[in-house]
Amino acid sequence: MPASVVFLRGFLVPPTEKAGCVTVLVFLMFEVDSVKKTILTGIQALFFIATIQSCSTDFDINSDNLDTPIVYCILNTADSFQYLRLQKTYLIDQAALEFPPHPDSMVFPGEVVVSLERWQNNEVKETIRFNPTTEIQKDTGFFPTDKHLLYKASARILPKQLYRLYIYLGSKEKVLYAETTTLGSLTVVDPMPLPIRKISLYEGANYTCRWQPVEKAGVYQVVVRFKYLETLGGVTSEKTLIWPQGFSNPGSNIEYLSKDVSGARFMHVLEESLVSKAGIERLAVGLDFQILSGGVELKYYVESTAPSEGALMEKPVYSNVTNGIGLFSSMAEVNISNLFLSSVTLDSMAYGRYTRGLGFLDHTGDRDSTNELKY
Amino acid sequence: MTRSILFSLLAGLFLFFSCDDPVDPNNNNNGNTDTPKIVGTLEIEFRVPGSYLPPNRVLRADLSIAKTAEELYKGHFLDVANVYNSKLVYQFELAPGTYYYQAGIVCVAKGDSCSAAGFPGEVGGSKWAIGNAIIKEKETTRIIPQFR
Repeated sequence: MPASVVFLRGFLVPPTEKAGCVTVLVFLMFEVDSVKKTILTGIQALFFIATIQSCSTDFDINSDNLDTPIVYCILNTADSFQYLRLQKTYLIDQAALEFPPHPDSMVFPGEVVVSLERWQNNEVKETIRFNPTTEIQKDTGFFPTDKHLLYKASARILPKQLYRLYIYLGSKEKVLYAETTTLGSLTVVDPMPLPIRKISLYEGANYTCRWQPVEKAGVYQVVVRFKYLETLGGVTSEKTLIWPQGFSNPGSNIEYLSKDVSGARFMHVLEESLVSKAGIERLAVGLDFQILSGGVELKYYVESTAPSEGALMEKPVYSNVTNGIGLFSSMAEVNISNLFLSSVTLDSMAYGRYTRGLGFLDHTGDRDSTNELKY
Repeated sequence: MTRSILFSLLAGLFLFFSCDDPVDPNNNNNGNTDTPKIVGTLEIEFRVPGSYLPPNRVLRADLSIAKTAEELYKGHFLDVANVYNSKLVYQFELAPGTYYYQAGIVCVAKGDSCSAAGFPGEVGGSKWAIGNAIIKEKETTRIIPQFR
């Protein structure tokens, strides 16, 4: 007697904690004779128990770690060494913000080949290999500072050239790729490397840095380095306060680009950054200016990582690395070193309202109160 | 008629009580207003004298102001301007009185070009122009330093 379908019944087990876990049980019951019916009912019961027992209330809040490569490389036309940082995404079984990852979990095991090609007229003109190095100490912070693996190449980067980056990861059998066109040369107009020109930076006196626009540049930045000697308890040490200015965007069809360094802000930065201690004595040595220009990729990256404005609170971070994430761009820089501060600036640091407690010597090399500024 | 009188009366009362006391715009911070400083302007047209040297071999080096000639000599300046190649005119806001200024130019040409152009020494040789200026209230005194 042919079996005939009596009904088709399905149970849809609702998703509990296990996201996306949908179990569908389909039971087919056939109208057969009573013996067969009993056997089938038993099988049905066994299926049901097995299904219930196999469901788990455990669930993973993390998806699988894809070991996504993260690459940062900024070619510097002013340097004879180039550096590349290669790491990967990692996953740990504990609170990520409480325990830093193991250093090995952030680097790729196995073979890693990093090479850079310079292209001209659709031909490879130069191939540069990067080698692993740990010579640069990582800055302190949450992530492990030991075994800071970088890749280094001894190479001069030529301006206005197309460079292509290839990274082969043996463990993933994957090649990462990125390309950039290097910047033109950067010409700084002010400051000039003239020590006789004293720099005035105090309330009411700003300094204007000027430079010529750089071909292919997307962003500029001026960095001021204030050098001073600090004497405490008879021990004198050289100190440097690094004061980066805000980013500047390139203008169009203008002869010079400029950035004003605020004298009033300089005094505030000193007040905020330096510690006031009894018996401390500080002697201002001078200023270095560093003018940097970065490629358009760097501009997009800076913009994508800047705080959001308006309704769009979360925005994707810019990346130009194929088969990975990260940034490959170029920069040019000019350093103007060993410039001196004007006597009025030194006196402002010694006796001015913001910095008088920091122990700076005035332009005569002492702290004679008769020199005090009358504010 | 009675209604309109009543309405006018209510409106008048409303307007009367809703008005704040008049505010004296000249006395709104309990007399803590800083009195504006009485100043005049010293305007220095800092010309770099011409020479047979190529352009940008003689540059502006220093422009400083002092209250007396002695303080100028000792380097106790009231103000030191940031000088640039591209800026010709420099202004200082000063209280009325007499002030002394010094303007310096420097030669950056190679070889013995600087000494041949009248600068002492070789590269880095400088020339100075020193003078005084009288600043009057709300007036601009214009000076052109002369280098010899």
